[in-house]
Amino acid sequence: MKSTNVKTKCSYVVMGLGQFLYGQRIKGLLYMAVLGLYIWYLFSAGITDIVGFFTLGTVEGDPWLGVAGDDSIIMMLKGILSFLILIAVIVFYFSNIRDIKNTEKLVEQGKPVPGFYASLLSFVDKKFYVVALFLPVVGVAVFNILPIIFMILIAFTNYGGDIVPPKLVDWVGLSNFAQILSLSGIKDTFVRILGWNIIWAVSATIINYFGGLFLALLLNKKCVKGKTFWRAFPILAYAVPGFITLLGFKFMFSYGGPINYYLKAFGLQAVGFLDIDAGWKARIIGLLVNAWISIPTSMLLATGILSNMNNELYEAASLDGAGRWKQFTKLTLPFVVFSTTPTLITSFVGNFNNFGVFYFLRGGLYLDDYFLASDTDLLINWLYNLSIDNNYYGIGAAVSLIIFIITSVISLTAYVNSSAFKKEDTFR
Amino acid sequence: MRKERLSEAVITHIVLIIVSFVFFFPVLWLVLASFSASGSIYDYEGFFPQSYSLGTYIKLFSDTQMYDYPSWLRNTLFVAVFSCVLSTVLVILTAYTMSRFRFKMRKPLMKTTLVLSMFPSFMGMTAVYLIMINFNLINNLWSLILVYSAGAPMGYLVQKGYFDTISNSIYEAARIDGASNPTIFWKVTMPLSKPILVYTALTSFAWPWSDFILPNMLLKNRDLWTVAVGLTHLGETEFSRFAAGAIFIAVPIVILYFSLSRFLVAGVSDGAVKQ
Amino acid sequence: MKYMKKALSLLLISSLAAGATACGSSSGKASGEKSEDGVITLRILENDTAKSEGYLDELLNEFNEAYKDKGIVAVDANMDEYSNLAENGPYGYGPDVLYQANDKLMTYAEDKHILALNRDDFECAKLIPEEAWDAFTIVVDGKQYTCAIPVNVQEPMLFYRKDKLPENWETDWDKDGDKTPDFFQNWSSLYQYSEQIQDDSDGENYGLVAACNDLYMMAEFMFSYGGYVFGKDENGISNPEDVGFGKADAAKGMMGLRQFAGVMSEECIDDSIGQNRYSKVADGTYFCSISTPDTYVLFHDRLADVYKAEGLSDAEASDKATENLGMIELPGKMPADGNLSGNDTEVDTVVMGGVNGYGISAYTEHKEACIEFVNFATSREMIKKRAEILGIAPTRSDVAEEIGGVTGMIFESLNAGHISLMPSVKAVDQIWDPMRTLLSDVAKDAFREIKGEEVKYSDEAAMQEALDKASQSIYDAIFTLSK
Repeated sequence: MKSTNVKTKCSYVVMGLGQFLYGQRIKGLLYMAVLGLYIWYLFSAGITDIVGFFTLGTVEGDPWLGVAGDDSIIMMLKGILSFLILIAVIVFYFSNIRDIKNTEKLVEQGKPVPGFYASLLSFVDKKFYVVALFLPVVGVAVFNILPIIFMILIAFTNYGGDIVPPKLVDWVGLSNFAQILSLSGIKDTFVRILGWNIIWAVSATIINYFGGLFLALLLNKKCVKGKTFWRAFPILAYAVPGFITLLGFKFMFSYGGPINYYLKAFGLQAVGFLDIDAGWKARIIGLLVNAWISIPTSMLLATGILSNMNNELYEAASLDGAGRWKQFTKLTLPFVVFSTTPTLITSFVGNFNNFGVFYFLRGGLYLDDYFLASDTDLLINWLYNLSIDNNYYGIGAAVSLIIFIITSVISLTAYVNSSAFKKEDTFR
Repeated sequence: MRKERLSEAVITHIVLIIVSFVFFFPVLWLVLASFSASGSIYDYEGFFPQSYSLGTYIKLFSDTQMYDYPSWLRNTLFVAVFSCVLSTVLVILTAYTMSRFRFKMRKPLMKTTLVLSMFPSFMGMTAVYLIMINFNLINNLWSLILVYSAGAPMGYLVQKGYFDTISNSIYEAARIDGASNPTIFWKVTMPLSKPILVYTALTSFAWPWSDFILPNMLLKNRDLWTVAVGLTHLGETEFSRFAAGAIFIAVPIVILYFSLSRFLVAGVSDGAVKQ
Repeated sequence: MKYMKKALSLLLISSLAAGATACGSSSGKASGEKSEDGVITLRILENDTAKSEGYLDELLNEFNEAYKDKGIVAVDANMDEYSNLAENGPYGYGPDVLYQANDKLMTYAEDKHILALNRDDFECAKLIPEEAWDAFTIVVDGKQYTCAIPVNVQEPMLFYRKDKLPENWETDWDKDGDKTPDFFQNWSSLYQYSEQIQDDSDGENYGLVAACNDLYMMAEFMFSYGGYVFGKDENGISNPEDVGFGKADAAKGMMGLRQFAGVMSEECIDDSIGQNRYSKVADGTYFCSISTPDTYVLFHDRLADVYKAEGLSDAEASDKATENLGMIELPGKMPADGNLSGNDTEVDTVVMGGVNGYGISAYTEHKEACIEFVNFATSREMIKKRAEILGIAPTRSDVAEEIGGVTGMIFESLNAGHISLMPSVKAVDQIWDPMRTLLSDVAKDAFREIKGEEVKYSDEAAMQEALDKASQSIYDAIFTLSK
C-alpha cells in the first residue's frame, strides 16, 4: 500500500517517474522526455526569454557603430512564446497527475496495469476529441493566439512613431489609453466610425445572407433545368480574386470609367460615385460590390445545407396541404437559419472587419471631422491608417483592443443566446 | 394549375437570367479587357476595348524579365494545394469534434475562437513576420502554407453547422456495432460529408489566390511571389496584363468547381440518413 | 469520391512538380554573403524602369566584367523597388546597395539603416551641386552626415504631342517672339489656350489635364507663392513642426488651381487621370499632361500605338513617336495674384522635386565593395548611359552639360532654386493623404460651380482656412500621438 503511494508521489516531483515505476515504461519515459526537453529549453533560451519579456532589451543597437543591440519586439515575442510553452508543460503536468491517480486506483483494486499500446488505443477512442483537436489547437495557438497576445501587449508599450527598432521599446502601462480618451479628435472619430461600422456590418450581413439563400432556393426549384449551368455564373464571380474585382469596380465608377462614359454619352453629367463628396453614394456602392463578391460563397453554403434537408418532411407537409410559403417559413427557414446561425455570426464578424472594400474603392481620403479617416472607412480601415500608414502601432493596438472588447461582447452575447448555441441538437 | 406552373417557370428563368447577367457582366468585361490590344483600359469605348488581340496572354507567359507570371502561378498552385489539404483536414477534424463530442472545455473553446476571430488580422501581421524570421521561413512558400492551415480551424463554424444536422441515430447505431471513435469518423462521418468537404476544400484552395497582404510580407524575392502579390505590383498601365493574370487564375477554380459540383449538390439526406 | 480523388491527385502531382522547382529557386537570405571561393556577392536594388529598360543588366554586366579579378560580383536583389529596408535589413533580407528617392532613403538614415558615407570616397562628389547633397544630409547629435550619393533629379514634366501644336502658334501664341509657344512658358497662357481648345472642340478635347489630387504634380500652386512643406532650421534641416502649405500667398495659388481645374476634364479629380494620361495625350484628347520623366516610355509607347493604328510599321511608328513626343519643364511663370485670366505681374514657378540616389545598407558585410560599386555606378560613363537609356536628369554636372537639352534644363532649375526638394525626414510620409484630400476637394469645387452646386472655396479666405486646416491635420498626424 505504502509503496504505491510513494510511486504516485514520484510523479508529483518528476513527471512520468511514477508511471515508469508502475511498469508503464514507455508512457513514463515519454512524460520524462517532455520534462527533460523543457528543462533543456529553460536553460538554453527560456530563462533569458522570460527576463527579456520584462526588460524589453537593455542595449540599444547602432548599425553605424556595429552595435548589434537588443530587438525589443523580438524579445517580447520570444517572451510570450516562453509563457505559452510553460502553460503547455503545466497542462502536461496535470495530465500526468490524473494519469498516475488512475493507475494507482487500478493497482489498489488489483487490476492489471494496461500496457502502452492498449492505453494509447483507449485514449484515442475515449478522448478522441483531445487527439483530434491537438494539432488545430497548437496551430491556432502559435499563429493566431500568439500574434493576438502580442498585439494586446503592444497596446501597453510606446512602440511606434519614432520608437521603432533599433530604438528600445518600453512598457508604458495605460498611457496609450489615457491619450485616446483625452484627445477629442480620436474619440469623435471613433464614435462616428463605430456607428457606420455597425450599420455596415448588419446590412452587409443581411444582404449577403438572404441574397445567397434566395439564389440557392431559386436554383433548387424543380422547374429549373441545367442547374449546374446557372450556378456557374455566380461561381465565375467567386473565382476571380476579390481585390481584382474591387479594383475593377473602382475603375468602373471612376470619372474616367465606363459608367460615366455612358452617362456623358447620353448627355448627362458625370457623377462622382466615389469621390470626396460621395458619402452615402459610396457607402451603397460598397454594399453592392461587397454583395457581388460575397453572395456566391453564401449561395454555395446554402446549397450545401439545403441538400442536407430531409425531403420526407416536405413530402409530409405537402400531403398535409401546406402551401409553399408555409413550407418555406415553417420548414426551410427554421432549418437553414438553425444550421447557419454560427455562419451568420462569422459573416457578421467578417463584414465588421471587412478591410478590402473601402481600402480599394476609396482609400487615401482624410475628411474633415475625422482623424485620419474618411466617412466610408470602417474601424479596421482607420486602424490601418493609424498603425500602418502613420506608424502608431501602440495607439493602433490600444484602439483595436477597445474595438475588440466592444465587438466581442456584442457577438458573444448574440452567439450565446442564439438557438444554435443553446439547442444544438434540435435537428438531430 | 399547369398554367401557374408555367408562368412560375418563366418568371424564375427571367430572374435567373438577370442574376446571371449581373454576375457575368463584370467578369466578361475583365475577359474582354484581357484581350485588349492596347494594354490600357482607357482606350475603351465605354465597356469595350477598341481592338482585340492575344498579345497580352503571350506577353504574360513570355515576357518574364520583370513579371515572372509562370513562376507566380507555380508558387500559388503549390501553396494552394498544400494549404487546401492541410486546412481541410484540420477544419473538418475541429468541426466534427466540436459538433459530435461534449467535453468540459468545449463551450469555452467555442467562445474563445469566436472572440479570437474578431481581431483585425493585420494587427498581428508583425508578429507573424517575426515568428517566421525566427523559424527562418522568410522567402519560403511553406511559411504561407503553415499560416493558412494553422489559422483555418478558426473558421470551423460553417462545417460544425453542417455536422450538427447529421442525425445522432447513425452514430449510436455504429457505436452499438462496436466501432471506435476514429473508426466512426472515417467510416461513417467522412462518407456523409462530401458536400462540406468540397466546400471546405474549395474555399481553402481559393484563398491563397487572392490573399496578398501576408505573402507580400513573407516573400521578398520577386520570383517567389504568388500571383496575387505579383499582380498588385504590376505597373499602373498594365491593366490588360492584370486582367489576363486574373482570368487565368480563375480558370483552375472554375474547373475545380465544375468537376466537384456534383458533390456540392448531392444530398446526404437522400443517401445514408434514410438507410 | 472517385472524381474528387482524381482531381486532387492530379493537382497534387502537378503542384509537387511545381514545388520542386519553386523550392529549388528559393535562394536563402544572404545579404552579401561570401561564398566558398571567396567571391563577394552584392545585392543591388534598382528601380523597375532601370530593370525593364535594360539599364540594370548593362550596369551589372559592366561592373562584373571590371571587377572579375577583385572577386566582387553584383547581382539584382530581385525585390520590389519600394521594399522597406527597415523591415528587411535588420534580419538579413535586405539589399546591400539600394537606389531610391531621397524621402525614402533619409527615412532609413534617421534610424541608421543606411550607412553614413564619406563624400571624398566618391569620384563624382565634386561634380554634384550642394542642393542635391542637401537632400541626403542628416544631423545626428549636432554633426552632419551624408547618407547617400545623388544620382538624378526628378520633377514633374509637361508631356505633349509636337504634331498637335496649333498651326498658328507662331503668330497667335508667341507674343514675345522667342520662338517658344507662350503656353509653355506661362500658366496664364496655358490656361487660356486650354479654355480655347475646350471651346473650339465643344468640350470634346482639353488643353492641360493633370492629376489635381496629386501633391507631387500640383505643389507648384503653393510653392510658387511662398508655401512650403516643412520649414527649415538654421542648419537647413527640415522642422516638421512648421507645416507651410498655407504660408504666404499659397491660398492665391490654390485659387489658381481651382480655376484651372475648371477647364480640365472631371477625370482630374480622382485617379482616372493617373492612368489615362498616357493614352489620352497620345490620341489627342488632351493636349498635354503632367507626369514624371521616368514615365516617358509610357507616353512614347502609347503614341507609337496611335501611329501604328494609322498604318505605320512598328519601327516607323516608334521613330515618329520619338520625334513627336515633347517633354519639357512646366511653364516657368505664374500670375502673382493667382488669377489665370488676369494680366497681373508674374512669379517664378517652383515645383516639387526629388533626388534619387544610392544608399548603402548598414547591414552589409562588405562596405568597401559597396563603395566600389556605387563609385562605378556613378561614374561618368554609367551615368551617361543611364541618362541615355532612361531619360533621367543626372546630378553630375559634366554629364548634364554634355547631354544638354531638357536634361540640362532640369539641372539648371535645381541650381536656380526652381525645384523645391521633398524634405528628407520621416514626417514627410504624413503629408500625402491630407493634401491629396484637400487638392481633390479644391478641384472638385470647380465642377461644383459648373454644375451649380454649392461651392466651398469661393474666395481666398475660405481657401486659406482650408489650407490651415490641412496643415493642422498634418501637424496632428505627426505630433498628437507621439507626445
